[in-house]
Amino acid sequence: RVPSQQFSALTEVLFRFLTEPKEVERFLTQLSDFATMNKISLGPLKNIVKSILLVPNGALKRNLSSEQVRADFIALGLSEEKASYFAEQWKVNSPTLTRLAVGQTLMINQLIDMEWRFGVTAGSSELEKVGSIFLQLKLVIKKGSQMENVYIELTLPQFYSFLHEMERVKTSLESFS
Amino acid sequence: LRQAPSKEAVRQLCQECFSSPPAHLGPLAQRACPGIAASPEEAAQLVSALHRLTRHVVYRGLTSPEDILDLFPEDFHQNLKNLLTKIILENISAWRNEAQASQISLPRLVDMDWRVDIKTSSDTINRMAVPTCLLQLKIQEDAALCTNSPVVSALTVELSKETLDTMLEGLGRIRDQLSAVANK
Repeated sequence: RVPSQQFSALTEVLFRFLTEPKEVERFLTQLSDFATMNKISLGPLKNIVKSILLVPNGALKRNLSSEQVRADFIALGLSEEKASYFAEQWKVNSPTLTRLAVGQTLMINQLIDMEWRFGVTAGSSELEKVGSIFLQLKLVIKKGSQMENVYIELTLPQFYSFLHEMERVKTSLESFS
Repeated sequence: LRQAPSKEAVRQLCQECFSSPPAHLGPLAQRACPGIAASPEEAAQLVSALHRLTRHVVYRGLTSPEDILDLFPEDFHQNLKNLLTKIILENISAWRNEAQASQISLPRLVDMDWRVDIKTSSDTINRMAVPTCLLQLKIQEDAALCTNSPVVSALTVELSKETLDTMLEGLGRIRDQLSAVANK
């Protein structure tokens, strides 16, 4: 029902939205522009787009190859040419889409940022002259939808031991990638 | 103090006087009273004086016997003076550490544990194999704020590989800065 050239323009709009899911406003604007330009009413277009979007999301979920995506579209009633085009676009975009989906996976108390400073305690109410080094870390953690700041102080030996442990973690993570 | 039953008792008393905060000196004096001093007032004076003396030595960082002996008044009993000086010198580095450990500070890291998990599926992807790190930090609140037993809380944080790499970069920079300071 939609001529090839316009179909590829629509596909482009769809994939741009999929790779940048936060740009909802832009997506909706582009859809309504498309509808006006091609003299299609927005309502039916939105429905079509909804069904089309189900395919890449399902494909992502089931790790489908582009061949399988093409077959799915043909089963939906799309012409071979359009199905192949869409499958091609899928192949190109799937690494980005996979990475996005993985990034959205549930994380518990995700560490967002770390700041630090270190200094020397010069004196205190109990000791006139001290001269001990301390390291202060500020960890920014995402708890649910809110950010929380956690402040911790470490002695030097603790810092070196922490660094050593984190290097071990890195080795472990790398061996599983 | 000359009435004290033994040198050990004097040593014990000095340690207690140093370690207890001013507010707790009263009860300490009451406990010390029967063995060491003649009356409650004397006990209170004694305990307070020992507290101030020991704290002063630690504060100024005095390390030589002469410095400590100089603190006593001229007519102070010679043997007792020597004994007290000896006791103070024995305890000085332990007391210094104690003072440093109870300094005000931000919450302190007391322990850490980690594990690596592999995420195998989620509501958006049926199959994947993404390693992730869970780090548990045990943090103790400022000891000075909690009179009896400081609160230790456990915070579990999740790090992706990218976050860990960034963190290691930061930790590496801290290490470099520390070596630069050490080498000056």
